[in-house]
Amino acid sequence: MIRIENVTKVYKTGAITLTALNGISLHIRPGEFVAVMGPSGCGKSTLLNILGCLDRVTSGRYILNSKDVSTLGGNELASIRNREIGFIFQSFNLLPRMTVLENVELPMIYAGVPARERREKAIEALSRVDLAERIRHRPTEISGGQMQRVAIARAIVNSPSIILADEPTGNLDSRVTEEIMKIIQKLNDEGTTILMVTHEPDVANYSERIVRMRDGRIIDDSPVQNRIIL
Amino acid sequence: MNILENVKMALSSIWANKMRSFLTMLGIIIGISSVIAVVSLGQGGQHTITGEFEKIGTNTVAINVNENNAEQSDYITFEDVRQLKEKIPYIRYATQIVRVQGWASYGTNTKMAIVVGGSGDMFRIENNEILYGRIFTDIEYEEGKAVAVIDSTTAKKLFRMEDAVGMTMDVGPKTAQKSVTIVGVIKSAYDMFAEMTDNDYIPVVVHMPATTVSHVFSLDETASQVFIMADNKENVESAGNLAVNLLENRHGNRGRDAYKAENLMKQLDQINTVVGIFTTFVAVVAAISLVVGGVGVMNIMLVSVTERTREIGIRKAIGARTGHILFQFLTESVIISCIGGILGLIFGIFGAYGLGRLAGITPHLSPGTVILAILFSSAVGIFFGIYPARKAAMLDPIEALRYE
Ligand SMILES: Nc1ncnc2c1ncn2[C@@H]1O[C@H](COP(=O)(O)OP(=O)(O)OP(=O)(O)O)[C@@H](O)[C@H]1O
Ligand SMILES: [Mg+2]
Repeated sequence: MIRIENVTKVYKTGAITLTALNGISLHIRPGEFVAVMGPSGCGKSTLLNILGCLDRVTSGRYILNSKDVSTLGGNELASIRNREIGFIFQSFNLLPRMTVLENVELPMIYAGVPARERREKAIEALSRVDLAERIRHRPTEISGGQMQRVAIARAIVNSPSIILADEPTGNLDSRVTEEIMKIIQKLNDEGTTILMVTHEPDVANYSERIVRMRDGRIIDDSPVQNRIIL
Repeated sequence: MNILENVKMALSSIWANKMRSFLTMLGIIIGISSVIAVVSLGQGGQHTITGEFEKIGTNTVAINVNENNAEQSDYITFEDVRQLKEKIPYIRYATQIVRVQGWASYGTNTKMAIVVGGSGDMFRIENNEILYGRIFTDIEYEEGKAVAVIDSTTAKKLFRMEDAVGMTMDVGPKTAQKSVTIVGVIKSAYDMFAEMTDNDYIPVVVHMPATTVSHVFSLDETASQVFIMADNKENVESAGNLAVNLLENRHGNRGRDAYKAENLMKQLDQINTVVGIFTTFVAVVAAISLVVGGVGVMNIMLVSVTERTREIGIRKAIGARTGHILFQFLTESVIISCIGGILGLIFGIFGAYGLGRLAGITPHLSPGTVILAILFSSAVGIFFGIYPARKAAMLDPIEALRYE
């Protein structure tokens, strides 16, 4: 499913070069639920962005669904993001001027789905995250937990095989965190591969495998001992 | 993603920033409305002039004394006019036109006046519509009777009524006015114009027999201009040439180019050319203001791209291609320009009719002008929208997502 080999990512700002990823290799099988942990600035988000085809490696290889994507152009990467990957962000990243429903429809607009089918699928995705009401409200009119559920609906609406979540519960309290993790576990049960960055060990325990990073390297990669299943 | 989605998206973001969108449009509105107003007034003016000339007819030739090298003896006598009509069979009507500036008064109401002298043929050539009374007769002309024909505007200005037949007024140089009787009122060509500008600086017009004019103003019985009207189109040229010939014979000034015959339709072409050039010139100046409007659109679109950097990042993250973003912003700038163009068109038409009322011109708006205005404003939208749209489309998704 996901395989990276000896990947480095180097940022050059003026005279300063910063190695955010320093020779990382990782293999994630279909249907796995992986958590990435590590201190701030160790390269977690950088890794996630590369896996999500938002960014490109400086060196090394990235094979996604048995296809080498390290050499693809911007528009081809956009297509992959659109169809095969769903993003969930810490700050939700919904478009404030659009309604909940329109936000969920957006990825399908770029996929060229006709309007009627779009509406139906968006409503279906919203019901999968238990959000059937308030779908004609704007994101500013709903709670943080509801916003994150909208974001999840948007992420799954094109039926991607992978969901990448960068601290999805970072802005949420513990009760809502549990709700969100329940949804993510359900998606995983239905077969979606999940990679989630988190700072909180509790949240990492919802996954089945934890990858620990430091200074742009993986220092530990082991299964979760006492996994919480909701 | 289809065009409809794009348009919907663009409209909603234009609507979300109503005031700013409108201010952005303002440049385009001003540009397009001035172009529309100028062009439709110019074309309307051409139509009006053409109409006037066509009323006089294509068969009319004006013979002018060449004032540059004229001698006293070259001027056309009233006897010349009689001879022209008598000796040249092609000529149906002939009249000298004498214009003198003077004064006309009725009681204490004194107005500056252009006194036009001629024979009754003057009205026949101009094809004037007679509203009340009659034009003056050949005998009144021959005998230099104290009669006058005025137009309806003059009648209203002098007598405060249209039907002034039978009234008398005093006409002449300021200190030596003579009493004349109104025998007829003709329809004024500039009725609307006169009503809008009822003031003393616009002179009234009084038509009298040329003989009477000479008498009242103590002038020679000569003229520098004769209008002749041929009996049909084919004979216009020969009538003009024969008339010049006859005049040269009578004055013995052959070879000196003393007279110039000019078909009025030719003059019309010249006037239309001048009006056309003038219209084009003013329209080009107005079009330059459109470019300024376009720069305004570009400016706001650049601000909009910066403000919406994060939105662009989100769209890219969920799969928008470069082209999607490019067209999204391009659609927005084209729609802004197009709405501006349509509003400009509406204001331009109102403006043209408003100004047209003041100037006595009925504006003429051709479909071509309308289409051109809309196309041009879209072109402005594309041209000035492409740079901001490209800037948006080229944003790096991660940097855009991180933008606060
Ligand atoms: N565009 C960039 N230009 C320069 N340096 C960058 C850029 N993006 C990230 N970095 C640097 O790369 C390193 C890794 O950043 P990254 O965002 O991946 O950290 P992180 O593990 O996600 O941290 P956090 O837990 O705080 O989110 C950091 O030192 C960061 O400053
Ligand atoms: Mg991070």
